[in-house]
Amino acid sequence: MTRPVPVEKPNIKPHVWAIGGGKGGVGKSALTTGIAMTLAGQGQRCVMIDADLGGANLHTFLGMSSPEHTISDLFRDPTKNLQDILLATPFENLGLISGARAMLNVANLKHFQKEKLIRQVFSLEADYIFIDLGAGSSFNVLDFFIAAHNGLMVVTPTPTSIENTYHFLRAAYFRKLRHVIRDLKVEALVDSSLDDKEKSGIRSPRDLVAELRRRDPSAGEEIDRAMMSFSPGLIVNQVQRHQDRNLGKEMALACKDFLGIDVTMAGSVRTDEQVLMALNSRRPTLSMFPQSNFAKDVRQIVQKLEW
Amino acid sequence: MSEDSLQASFDFFGLSHDASIDEVEKSFRELRNLYSEGSLATYSLLDDADRQEKLAALRKAYDRILQSYSHTPDSEVDPEREAGPFPAKSLIVNIDADLQQMPGLFLQQSRKALGLSLQDVAKRTKVRASILQDIEEQRFDFLPAPVYLRGFLREFARMVNVPDADALIDAFMARDKNDKERKID
Ligand SMILES: Nc1ncnc2c1ncn2[C@@H]1O[C@H](COP(=O)(O)OP(=O)(O)OP(=O)(O)O)[C@@H](O)[C@H]1O
Ligand SMILES: [Mg+2]
Repeated sequence: MTRPVPVEKPNIKPHVWAIGGGKGGVGKSALTTGIAMTLAGQGQRCVMIDADLGGANLHTFLGMSSPEHTISDLFRDPTKNLQDILLATPFENLGLISGARAMLNVANLKHFQKEKLIRQVFSLEADYIFIDLGAGSSFNVLDFFIAAHNGLMVVTPTPTSIENTYHFLRAAYFRKLRHVIRDLKVEALVDSSLDDKEKSGIRSPRDLVAELRRRDPSAGEEIDRAMMSFSPGLIVNQVQRHQDRNLGKEMALACKDFLGIDVTMAGSVRTDEQVLMALNSRRPTLSMFPQSNFAKDVRQIVQKLEW
Repeated sequence: MSEDSLQASFDFFGLSHDASIDEVEKSFRELRNLYSEGSLATYSLLDDADRQEKLAALRKAYDRILQSYSHTPDSEVDPEREAGPFPAKSLIVNIDADLQQMPGLFLQQSRKALGLSLQDVAKRTKVRASILQDIEEQRFDFLPAPVYLRGFLREFARMVNVPDADALIDAFMARDKNDKERKID
């Protein structure tokens, strides 16, 4: 099967990554920090954006105290833009846009605020942008996730996290599908397909696309092509048991098999007590313990992903 | 059965029709784990009916492919296969398992008594080591359909000098049946 070349090419500057995955506390912020620091260490200009407006803490992972400028400034003063609130960090090539002390949650961002924010992200001066999304599958979180060139989902080997990840993945897929459909102006086709959902046996995203193809082959094909570029990566974090090292591969297989979505297995990261030790010393794990299992696993992921 | 259904069976595993039996076996094991009840990776994704349906389809595709492999021309049969049972070695391991109650364990003890590894037996019997292991551990869910299983048991029993192979096969098949009936309840 020949896959069309995704619209987004990795050499676009800045290349935008979003990190999400539904469940809280799985390690999204820890991994965002680890990945960005690794690339910054290789001389790439990186910016981390803390879009977890309710619970922003990326500055803490970097060992920085409460930041002076944050995303809230943008809402107070509409003349300001993202570049104005970009903070230097103690690390070369690494910038931070903090979401600390924001009075509102990403979930309640107004439509125009969100659109403006997304536009500005893409015009930042950097090689790589990493958006730490925070937990949840609200529309605004999903919109950041699908707006990025690439998405990464973080999951831990627990039923709750896995359930949330599938929920997040499905929701993000349908959200993207909705955008594609809007752009192609075929809303009526989708509505009529979904109206007979029971009758046509639509249970998964793949079923829906198949039904669309059946009803309107040419529109269906275009939708299919546009959706091909939706192929988030998956990181399994906090792996302790030997058998869970395969979880990412199995989940990727399940996503393909049951949802019809291509998910790339990006790697596994072991549970490592040095993560907490570093956090308690207010230092990033990668700089305090560069030989820790966490640091090694993160570097392996960076090596494996296409940049 | 038609060539069509054979191709569809390979498609089921996402393999091309010239895949080796090792690849089929590996994929079979991966998918079986994925569809099994305790699978973490499919948590919340499949309900019981989905699992049963998937497992049945998997079983069918696997058996269809196994059947095609069992029709290999005689010339491809490894001469070693025709070799007789292994010569008896000193009996370091006691064979004290009850052949009726624990036929799998009985086979395992018989094998160990001859100082053989699973690979040794696999090489001679042309039955995959993983299947031999499933037989020893009586993992009935994992074993192939009875029509193949009987043949595998006979080969295994012969290689490890089980005196009454028929009794062992009957005992094993009866256990298998019990196990399946229990599951249905
Ligand atoms: N591989 C790991 N080994 C040990 N501890 C870890 C690991 N990954 C993350 N942690 C710890 O787990 C906690 C939660 O991690 P983190 O804050 O990165 O999660 P999160 O997904 O960003 O959470 P939230 O949804 O609340 O933003 C932190 O204390 C972090 O140090
Ligand atoms: Mg976080």
